[in-house]
Amino acid sequence: MPRPLYPAAAVVALAMLGSPARAHHSFGAEYDVNQPVTITGVVTKIEWTNPHSFLFLDAVDATGNKANWKFEGYPPSALSRTGWKREVTVKPGDTITVFGWRARLGGTLAHSREVTFADGSKLFFGPPAGTGDGGTAPAVKVP
Amino acid sequence: MMRAALIVAFVVAGSSMAIRAQAPARPASSAAVQAAVPRAADGKPDLTGVWQGGSNRPGKWEDANNGLGVGGTGKDPNAPPSLGSQQVVTTPAPYQPWAAARVLESFNKRGIDDPAALCLPPGVPRLALVSLFPIEVVQTPQKVVFMYEYMNVFRSIPITAQHPPDIVPTYLGDSIARWDGDTLVVDITGFNDKTWLTGTGTFHSEALHVIERYTRVSRDQIDYEATIDDPKVLTGPWTIRTTMMLRDGTRVQEYVCAENNQDPAQYERLLKEGVSFRR
Repeated sequence: MPRPLYPAAAVVALAMLGSPARAHHSFGAEYDVNQPVTITGVVTKIEWTNPHSFLFLDAVDATGNKANWKFEGYPPSALSRTGWKREVTVKPGDTITVFGWRARLGGTLAHSREVTFADGSKLFFGPPAGTGDGGTAPAVKVP
Repeated sequence: MMRAALIVAFVVAGSSMAIRAQAPARPASSAAVQAAVPRAADGKPDLTGVWQGGSNRPGKWEDANNGLGVGGTGKDPNAPPSLGSQQVVTTPAPYQPWAAARVLESFNKRGIDDPAALCLPPGVPRLALVSLFPIEVVQTPQKVVFMYEYMNVFRSIPITAQHPPDIVPTYLGDSIARWDGDTLVVDITGFNDKTWLTGTGTFHSEALHVIERYTRVSRDQIDYEATIDDPKVLTGPWTIRTTMMLRDGTRVQEYVCAENNQDPAQYERLLKEGVSFRR
């Protein structure tokens, strides 16, 4: 499919407005865009729940410590429109790589964006950074 | 001042680019475009269908959102991280100085005080601008019904009715509609003060009055405009425009927000533990 023309200027206008909420809560309060994280591990569970789904995977760090990571993502309806199939796309035991951003509270909680499967294909599990937190500028002029 | 001028410039540029992006290979005559607008038995434009607000891309959901993150398929790992199909045009909100300070405080708190984070209904026009979730419209000669996947709320709007004399304030207010030529005009009053209008912190009072205009300009597109007035917090009307795009084949689904809402507890932990999250 040819890449559609991209209304970049409209996006800039939106960003300056302070984007309308696209999800039901603030990304930026809970997660830190300055802490991107990429984890490869074995899926232990997927919770298809509202308002957000959760993806859990066991991963081993460089020092050999095993941890269970929890990634927040889209609600089930958005996941299905994104191409996810509940019993097909990912099952416990599958090895995947998840890119996202870590929680400000630390630990092994993160916000997901892109999932890469064993065959190299990719799907988004969550929205981009900055969702719902007001974007880069407030809706009002700063005095 | 410079910043305001910049915003206006971007808005104008954005609008013209959006129009160019949608232009057919050959210019269609205005009569041809008119003919392409589906009409109901009573001759009015028929808004019936499943729509995506905040978008300007025609096509099925999966094609229009491919790789851009609004339910994008993620097939293009190099797609820009921003929501490219978002198409919302506005100017800075004309809040009174005291109210602007409150909006700014919410922005600096990164929207941690968003009522929707508690799974409460989003307000108007916010509902029309949330592009992650579809909106189903069913139109009859007597009423127009909007069913929103986001928070699973609905508005059943009578045509040519009057507002009731004693309205108990609600999240989505009391809506009545009329036709102005080919434009459906919805007048909304009777709001409570518990929603945000659209962007982070955009609160309002119970004096809020919103007029929405829906104009189906082609088979694929509704032009949407909301004029917001609230004399208790704004200095004058605030107008927001977007386009709603037809999404053939998309169905509005269940969204029970209270099912597993872990975010308020996370916010409480942030505050309790003194974790830095402000801008």
